[in-house]
Amino acid sequence: MKYYVLIIMSCFINMTYSQNCKSKFFGEVHDFHDGTPMIAASIYIENLDKYTSTDIDGNFSFDNLCDGKITVVVSHLSCETKRFDIQISGDTFYEVNLEHHIEELNEVKVKGASNSKLTKTSQETIIKAKTIERYSASSLGDALKEVAGVSSINTGNTIVKPMINGLHSSRILILNNNVRQQDQEWGVEHAPNIDINSAGQISVIKGSGTLAYGGDAIGGVVVINPNRVISNDTLYGRTIIGGQTNGRGYNISSTLNKNYSSGWFAQVQGSYRKNGDFKAPDYNLTNTGLDSKGLTTRFGKKKFKSGFEVYYSYLNNEIGVLGTSHIGSTFDLVRAINSGQPILIEDFSYDINTPKQNVTHHLAKVNYYKRFQNFGKVNLQYDYQHNQRLEFDVRIGDRKNIPAIDLTLQTHTILADVNLDSNLNQKVNFGLMGRFQDNFANPDTGVRRLIPDYEKYDFGIYSTAEWKLNDDLIVDAGIRYDFNKIDAKKFYRKSRWEERGYNIDFQNIIIASVIGSQVFNGVIDPNAQEYLTNPVFDYHNISGSVGAKYSINDNNQILFNYSLASRPPNASELFSDGLHHSAARFELGNIRFDKEIANRVSGSYTYNNSKFSFLTEVFYNRIKDYIYLKPLDFILTNRGPFPIWAYEQTNAELFGIDISATYNFTDTWQWKNKTAFIKGYDLKADLPLIDIPSFNTMNQITYNHEAWHNFSASLKSEWVFEQNEYPDFNFEIENQLTEEIISVDISSPPPAYHLLHFYSEATFALSKKTNLNIALGVNNLLNTSYRNYLNRLRFFADDLGRNITLQLQLKY
Amino acid sequence: MKTINLNFLKNINFFISAFFCLMLVTSCSNDDDVNNPPPVNDEELITNVTLTFTNNADATDTVVLASIAPDGQDGTSTEDVTGNFTSGATYSLSLAITNASETPADDVLNDDIIVEADEHFFTYAVNTINLTMSRDADDTDGADGSKLGVKTTWVAGAASTGNVQISLIHQPTSTDDSDGFGSSTGGSEDLSITFSGVNIQS
Repeated sequence: MKYYVLIIMSCFINMTYSQNCKSKFFGEVHDFHDGTPMIAASIYIENLDKYTSTDIDGNFSFDNLCDGKITVVVSHLSCETKRFDIQISGDTFYEVNLEHHIEELNEVKVKGASNSKLTKTSQETIIKAKTIERYSASSLGDALKEVAGVSSINTGNTIVKPMINGLHSSRILILNNNVRQQDQEWGVEHAPNIDINSAGQISVIKGSGTLAYGGDAIGGVVVINPNRVISNDTLYGRTIIGGQTNGRGYNISSTLNKNYSSGWFAQVQGSYRKNGDFKAPDYNLTNTGLDSKGLTTRFGKKKFKSGFEVYYSYLNNEIGVLGTSHIGSTFDLVRAINSGQPILIEDFSYDINTPKQNVTHHLAKVNYYKRFQNFGKVNLQYDYQHNQRLEFDVRIGDRKNIPAIDLTLQTHTILADVNLDSNLNQKVNFGLMGRFQDNFANPDTGVRRLIPDYEKYDFGIYSTAEWKLNDDLIVDAGIRYDFNKIDAKKFYRKSRWEERGYNIDFQNIIIASVIGSQVFNGVIDPNAQEYLTNPVFDYHNISGSVGAKYSINDNNQILFNYSLASRPPNASELFSDGLHHSAARFELGNIRFDKEIANRVSGSYTYNNSKFSFLTEVFYNRIKDYIYLKPLDFILTNRGPFPIWAYEQTNAELFGIDISATYNFTDTWQWKNKTAFIKGYDLKADLPLIDIPSFNTMNQITYNHEAWHNFSASLKSEWVFEQNEYPDFNFEIENQLTEEIISVDISSPPPAYHLLHFYSEATFALSKKTNLNIALGVNNLLNTSYRNYLNRLRFFADDLGRNITLQLQLKY
Repeated sequence: MKTINLNFLKNINFFISAFFCLMLVTSCSNDDDVNNPPPVNDEELITNVTLTFTNNADATDTVVLASIAPDGQDGTSTEDVTGNFTSGATYSLSLAITNASETPADDVLNDDIIVEADEHFFTYAVNTINLTMSRDADDTDGADGSKLGVKTTWVAGAASTGNVQISLIHQPTSTDDSDGFGSSTGGSEDLSITFSGVNIQS
């Protein structure tokens, strides 16, 4: 890669045709950012083999040069070396600006180079490309579990939502190539629509320390960046082909990159993944197939001083939901829980029947940046996202081909961001964000809208600063203000409207009455079946953070961070109003909700030496007005009794500790541990919070022998304890026929389990530039039957049995 | 320092104006739509389930079990029992399942359930009331080779009081109609209604 050097002027004085060997070549060398002269930079004229260096003012000169082309190499300690050709024609002056913010140049580092973390004082972990590649046939949520303290809340095995320190969905912000993912993330069974094969590096940040991305990351931030752009004339690519025995899955993913030394680049990546019904150790998990298609393409020009990128990604996932989880009544749920295994077990098939999801996500972005000397970098970005979610339910007749849920969410965002980095010891970043969002619930479903039509406006302004007080201490701080406005058009059944008491507080937002299929605008008719309402809510959110990083010595380092995050209620928490099929319950939102406010304090301690590395992270997160679902009441319907769950606000606290450790016994043997412990409580009801991960610990032994084609083999033990603290939301229903009382155990967590996983790989060089990596893995080596507390389908079936995976990866 | 500040201001200016230019471009996409979204008519709604038992020997002797759920499966249902069975009499059951939120009411039984009879199965159950039943020979064929259960004959035994239950199973895994009342495994319950306090008088 070459770094852009600004050539301000060149003087052509003696425009003669005669050969002149009395020319002078002189100039100055400055730091690009703050313009300070660079002392003792070495200047070497390669073709003449002449050296000099700059003086105290950054000046240099060569005398008695012949006119003609010379090749100059300028280098300085801690700067990238710059090599360029210039034409000498009489006395020639050049000003050279060297760049020494190496970490910001986004250069691909040689092996063993440091990670480029996005934050200084947050609890951030980086998942590198090498690790991501292993998850080519899985989902983002699976890969994130590489980080201690990160778990997932699942609906089956293909709908995997990341959970950071016990929080998920709207409390986690996901950035895909600097675009905040807007894919109806409020739903627990809405997995992030990101093709993991498009990721070059993933950063997981616990807590909301990174205000540039948003102020509402009460749980954390996941930042996914594509491969870095290399400014060399090069063409390279990667193809991954994999197969899995469980689900008879196969996947292919291919990436091709073309780069030019001029800074132009282009990349195209496509992937396809398919599997049929998965298998638990004892039975098939009917209707758990997946069909996923992804395409990502980008091009642009990247120079040090300015650049732009145009990016587009497409992802379509068709996901079968375990057939047996479709239930019609609470009695069906009881039968499912009591039977201990799925009622519907069919032979293996690739068919994806109802219930299923079909989600399509388009993301397009264009950004432009420019660096100003003595100032910093200005970045402008516009992005557009189009997310369509279709959920097909078990319905009568041809209606099974009509989605029961058909929601389209479109988001436009503009971002402007300024990085003032001219002073290396004090970096300031500030920016503005504007967003418009439109949610459309297609009425052709023939099912009442679960989420209403709405428009949402967001505006954010933030500033963060970082001070390097001395070589050992970095302090950072940030503040952000967000304004959100949601403007919805929602139909309420009159019975619900009154049962929630909205007729007392919100009668003024009714804009029409529905009688039969007729709509009377501007009328509040007491005989109406439904009211059309226009809730408009504004939220003002303040968020902030302060942190410090202190290096005690070369081996020991501590971090401290405090953050304040503020999250407005999402569309589901405000407006939910309907039957949740697989949970056999009604879920009700509440338009009275105010924002959640979280205060999170965290500290980390890192120890590193050549053999042993140890990281411990502790946190305490107190959330005021924490929104969660809680049993409220019962309703007797023509399908029997149903529990009603309503969103409620309480005060909650979560605290825990995450540990990661690595020990290298020898050059070839390594031990690794990852442990997470977390507790969460509802402080008002004095109850544990629901869906909190239990204590879990992972130990891994790896044998690695570089001489054998970089062969490595590892055995991983994953031990997940039983969650012994959970809220008892069990309930009783009456079988009206026999008048017998049936207790429904929906709360008890499944027992602890222990799994073993094996993984091995080797890399073979096929030619100078081509290598082939072959990886063989066995998940759940012992074919253990288990259920995970954080899998929403745990009532219906066991988790996956043994899965043998083979993956070939060709890099060229 | 002065030049830096000036430069800084100039850049800030550029930055802010660029931001608002972008804002203008994107705000065009928001056409203020004054049209309200149309209401959705829940197509699968079942609001009224009526079981009319008619004495085969006396057409004026009827027992009507009616369930009304104005909001369909999403809302409260109320059950009502009219009339008493006569001990020793034989009754034919006539079922009506409708969606009365539409005008005219949607005949769910004939338009949806019977059309898809192979995916459906009615089961009946009684408790402490001496009613027995059988599926008629001309009853529609239902799921898994059983009779659907829309044409049934009921015999009232000795005087008694109890509950009568009707369930509609969608896509059952297996069904058994050998005892008339019917039983099944798997699938999901589209209806499960219990009428209490049904009488047989001597």
